[in-house]
Amino acid sequence: MSKGVLVDLTKCVGCGSCTVACKLWNKREFDKDSPAVGLNPQLDDQNWTTVSFNEVQKDGQPVWRFVKQQCLHCEHPACASACFAKAFQKTPEGPVIYYPHLCVGCRYCMLACPFDIPKFEWDKSFPLVTKCQMCSTKVAEGQAPACVSVCPTDVMTFGERDELLALAKKTIDSDNRYVKHIYGENEAGGTNWIYISDIPFEELGFRTDVTTRPIPEYSHDFLKYTPAVAISWGALLTGLYAYTKRRNKIAKEENKDVPM
Amino acid sequence: MDKQKGLNKEMTRRGFLKLFGGLGLVGATATLSGCSKEPMGGEGWMPQQYQVAASNYPTQVRGRIPIDPMSPSIMRDDEKCILCGQCLEVCQNVQTVFGYYELPVVNDTICVNCGQCTLWCPTAAITEKDDTQRVLDAIEDPEKIVIVQTAPATRVGLGEEFGLPAGTWVEGQQVAALKQLGFDKVFDTNFTADLTIMEEGTELINRITGKSDAPLPQFTSCSPGWVKFCEYYYPDLLPNMSSAKSPQQMFGAVLKTYYAKKMNIDPEKIFSVSIMPCTAKKFECQRPEFNSAGKYWNKEEIRDVDAVLTVRELARMIKAKGIDLPNLPEEKYDPVLGEGSGAGLIFGNTGGVMEAAVRTAYFVLTEQDVPDLLFDLKPIRGLDGIKEAALDVPGVGTIKVAVVHGLSNARPILEAVRRGESPYHFIEFMCCPGGCIAGGGQPRTALPPSDEVRAARIATMYGKDASYNREHRLSHENSEVLTLYNDFLEHPISHLAHELLHTTYTDRGNKLKAKKLS
Ligand code: SF4
Ligand code: SF4
Ligand code: SF4
Ligand code: SF4
Repeated sequence: MSKGVLVDLTKCVGCGSCTVACKLWNKREFDKDSPAVGLNPQLDDQNWTTVSFNEVQKDGQPVWRFVKQQCLHCEHPACASACFAKAFQKTPEGPVIYYPHLCVGCRYCMLACPFDIPKFEWDKSFPLVTKCQMCSTKVAEGQAPACVSVCPTDVMTFGERDELLALAKKTIDSDNRYVKHIYGENEAGGTNWIYISDIPFEELGFRTDVTTRPIPEYSHDFLKYTPAVAISWGALLTGLYAYTKRRNKIAKEENKDVPM
Repeated sequence: MDKQKGLNKEMTRRGFLKLFGGLGLVGATATLSGCSKEPMGGEGWMPQQYQVAASNYPTQVRGRIPIDPMSPSIMRDDEKCILCGQCLEVCQNVQTVFGYYELPVVNDTICVNCGQCTLWCPTAAITEKDDTQRVLDAIEDPEKIVIVQTAPATRVGLGEEFGLPAGTWVEGQQVAALKQLGFDKVFDTNFTADLTIMEEGTELINRITGKSDAPLPQFTSCSPGWVKFCEYYYPDLLPNMSSAKSPQQMFGAVLKTYYAKKMNIDPEKIFSVSIMPCTAKKFECQRPEFNSAGKYWNKEEIRDVDAVLTVRELARMIKAKGIDLPNLPEEKYDPVLGEGSGAGLIFGNTGGVMEAAVRTAYFVLTEQDVPDLLFDLKPIRGLDGIKEAALDVPGVGTIKVAVVHGLSNARPILEAVRRGESPYHFIEFMCCPGGCIAGGGQPRTALPPSDEVRAARIATMYGKDASYNREHRLSHENSEVLTLYNDFLEHPISHLAHELLHTTYTDRGNKLKAKKLS
């Protein structure tokens, strides 16, 4: 069964522990010009997760809410379907992971993702695409992702996705403060990270216009969205594809390839 | 729309060249470095408590405290944080601030600005908000007269930054160092500690004798962390809080009115600095109501205290200038606001404010000499979390007092007051364990702070007080304070004293929903 994380936004105090945990565990760098927490945090190649500060109104009073953002690990990941090099792969345990050695750098994933998650290492001379990996190596051992394990207020619960959905339902049904919407239950065909909140999601910067159809079904449309890239890069990409494929083949022969 | 933007970004020349230069080599470098068959991530490290093999078990010590990016007191460098959880440990278990409110948060980062987290953080990721540059700029500014006050507890802490044993007395060296740094006048907060006793003591006597209808017990009000704690969690008890300002704020107000007048200085030119063992003082000085001098002169923008430096910040400034503090010849405070009694000095210890108050209150109530016992009030000295004493005051009866330090110790007493079950007339509260001598701005001499260091600092303070002759141990015999009343304020709680030296409090109960205590 596939694992997921339930994020209860009412419990977050904005300490940013999760963003630091992500950096510690994944060896990401800190950049003062690109903060991972605060008013305008940047999700980028070094910040795989961010916690944004939002001042919103509740019952006519200003209230603060903090929103942790990271890859939602879609059940039917558009990034993976868009990636012809298979650099993005959905594991049976839930994480959608990225294999740099397969990446050709086309960045179709960035265009396909409905949540605008994958980021490019613009400042590297050998850039790769990056994003939250849901600490796949931890998850594979039955451990919670790094960010989940450090949260001092238990904002996040790690577990089986269907159990988390049941828990989310129970929570929002038994407490009328919550909005009756489990974000990620159906968005983009369902995600492994799901959210509950006492403030409507659109007020907290969530994309609520995301289709509930699994995106891969029509990912072709998504690709059509990018004619400029497709036309000017087509030849080069085809070449790279062939190149990567050959590498895969070699890798396979060495019996070291990743599961497909 | 977002997508379109992304697309435009991709087609820039820079992006194009970078990509073109990079792409062909991605595979090559990956192969050369021979390491990227693994998924990305997970090559890092986490503290031991998160390394649980079979995993989802919650660990006890984890995460960290939230910090308001606009906090005037503390800040954190995320890059240094290792998520050890120590800041949360002290905030929650020693200070009972974090975790004592319901979630979700309302619209505040609940913090009393005490800075204990700066003392516990092993990597010094959390520090005081640095104000040294502002002070240096003021010193450089020929238009400004920069005047500094030093809190009682600073003189037993500063030396530790220079390798001296815990509690070494460096009062004279501190004055000398401040002069070398270029401060125009060096004054002593002990002076206004004595002044506080005159005001707060009179207030207490008025409550006890029924001259004032303010409730008993009276709470001390000089620890701004404690004051904010009461405003958050026990706003219903704010009438019990003494209206007397803290010595730091009294000093600022007196400096820019009485002193400015007396010396014929334009108060707008004075830049008032204080050296404090405390980070909450940085918060206190910028509370909107603390511009009494501004109101006095009808120039609202004049602040009573312009900048607060912790002992650690002062040490950094001294070190940066290459001043060899331990070997400086001792110097004396400047006159007019520079005299302080032993009673004012021991304000820095837990129990000190109470002992100082009791000495003066006894004299005022009985008009008799203060008995020896009150110069060594053992029951309220030392590091027990809650201490109490009962004193027989001839003609008045038995006065019961309590002394509390560390906010976790304050809660049971406050709950008792709330229930109307407190037997006390007067309660001293100090936010930090040990009092100001172990305030959040003191040197990080032991990590986390140890009672050994606290005890050494406390012993030096009491030792100094005991070494003075009798008159020099009583607030009401501070000759400069008496001159201040004669020349300017007239008498304690006079109209002017009220304007300059007293304050009101802010109910912050709506900033949080306090958890019910079981
Ligand atoms: S660790 Fe938890 S409380 Fe802290 S910012 Fe992250 S999600 Fe919020
Ligand atoms: S959120 Fe975006 S990057 Fe993450 S799995 Fe879904 S499509 Fe892929
Ligand atoms: S300053 Fe005090 S109250 Fe604020 S976070 Fe640190 S320990 Fe907690
Ligand atoms: S004490 Fe310091 S290092 Fe430890 S969690 Fe807090 S801020 Fe981070």
